[in-house]
Amino acid sequence: MKSGRKIFKHCKAFTESMVGKRYMGADEMSEYVQDFYQHMSEHLETQLSCSSDHAQDVMDDVEKYVMTRLYRSVFSSETTDDEKKDLAIQRRIKELHWVTTEMLGSPLDEESLEVSDHLLKAIIDLSEMDLKQVPKDKLRCMTSCSKHVFNAIKAETKKIGSADDFLPTLIYIVLKTNPPRLISNIQYIIRFGNSMKLMSGEDEYYFTTLCCVVNFIENLNAQSLKLSSEQFERYMSGQAPPHRPKTNGASSSGSAALSQVNTRLVQLKELEERQGCVMENAGQMKGDLIDFTDELEMQDLISTTVIGSASHSAIDSDIIENELLPQPLQPWVLY
Amino acid sequence: MAAGGAGGNSGKTYSFKVVLLGEGCVGKTSLVLRYCENKFNDKHITTLQASFLTKKLNITGKRVNLAIWDTAGQERFHALGPIYYRDSNGAILVYDITDEDSFQKVKNWVKELRKMLGNEICLCIVGNKVDLDKDRHVSVEEAESYSESVGAKHYHTSAKLNKGIEELFLDLCKRMMETAQAEERLKGNGASQSASSRRGVQIVDDEPQATPAGGCCSSG
Repeated sequence: MKSGRKIFKHCKAFTESMVGKRYMGADEMSEYVQDFYQHMSEHLETQLSCSSDHAQDVMDDVEKYVMTRLYRSVFSSETTDDEKKDLAIQRRIKELHWVTTEMLGSPLDEESLEVSDHLLKAIIDLSEMDLKQVPKDKLRCMTSCSKHVFNAIKAETKKIGSADDFLPTLIYIVLKTNPPRLISNIQYIIRFGNSMKLMSGEDEYYFTTLCCVVNFIENLNAQSLKLSSEQFERYMSGQAPPHRPKTNGASSSGSAALSQVNTRLVQLKELEERQGCVMENAGQMKGDLIDFTDELEMQDLISTTVIGSASHSAIDSDIIENELLPQPLQPWVLY
Repeated sequence: MAAGGAGGNSGKTYSFKVVLLGEGCVGKTSLVLRYCENKFNDKHITTLQASFLTKKLNITGKRVNLAIWDTAGQERFHALGPIYYRDSNGAILVYDITDEDSFQKVKNWVKELRKMLGNEICLCIVGNKVDLDKDRHVSVEEAESYSESVGAKHYHTSAKLNKGIEELFLDLCKRMMETAQAEERLKGNGASQSASSRRGVQIVDDEPQATPAGGCCSSG
């Protein structure tokens, strides 16, 4: 498609122009990128008259292209103090390891096995956010994490979760996950995400809640956990042991633990099988690659030989002695 | 506030963000679930969550996309309010007519919203649970006169009986559309597109348009 190629050209030109601006401040970089997004989406809607849904899809691809290329130079850039803040919140979360769902007012029982699977998935998704390069992909991790949180709430309360349940539970998840480079990731999404100006979609809602969580954790005090300040200090200084919910009896918790071990064993076995599969495929791919290079060399050889033989014949034609050679054999005409 | 009204032509779609504020047990979740899913009983509801819901409407031939943001109502999260309601076009403040405290909370939020967002945000104050009128602790007169004094509209609803909810949202949408249209007119009078090209990032098609059709690489 012609217009597609043009969009690609614009993106390419823009990212190339940004390389020279690498040492610019993060906010200024962000302004450039956001301006580009805005111009591009106006261009799509006015000049190419895309429907808004289609334009949104194209803009997602534009963001993907631009940010994949800019990621390394703008993520947690040296011109910001993101990295320092990452470390500060990481330390803060470590200090708060003793906080329970109950203190936060979340409806979840953290020991319940029904919810622990959902919570584990939520934790995995939240930590995967750091691995993605495109802002939209990071947002999707957050959305997926939130869905698992709601599943956990539903499993526990048998009700549909509202913000009153969601926010405290997400705080708990963030405390348990201690996501890598949390502030850098949030700042990166705010600065370079394409949808950050509209802030009205579902992804943006969950992202906003994550921002609320960070704010809450930063400002957390005894009051926000409904503890007395002495109690809070005791927990913070490590004098009071982390709260452990009482179990009904050793046997019930024992069998629960046993079943958990069993499910983990099954999961491990599955993983082993999958790894075997991956190894097999990798071996096959290696073989294919070797064949491919052989083939390539072969082709190279053939093409050089063809050129070579052509030039030989040209040389041959210059040899004067040719005339002295006997005439080539002529076919006999029999009839 | 560029968040809201996208475009003024009838072909365009309006997108509005509405925040839902209210204390824990005032029934704000039931209210939005009733509106978006038309369900009161949890058992029949298909959605996984009630914290972010959307609704598409058609008002006098114009399409409106409504995104409803629920906020955590507990006191300890009060300070987080501004993060949620930033850039919203409307706010629905819910109280329980049987709970005087929840009405006081609404008053606090109104003050805050007006301080942070000015008059651009459309406010709706909603007295929910009118089916429990015999236990009413917030008088109708007080609620209505207060609402008027702060430039908000007052509504009575019952999520249980499905009363007053459609009217509330429809009315709010109409008011948000008016605000967006007024804003557009204001923008139209000023220099058009003031925001663009401040950085010199321009999307210009410099290629000659007369490229012959049917090139070799027309990947379809």
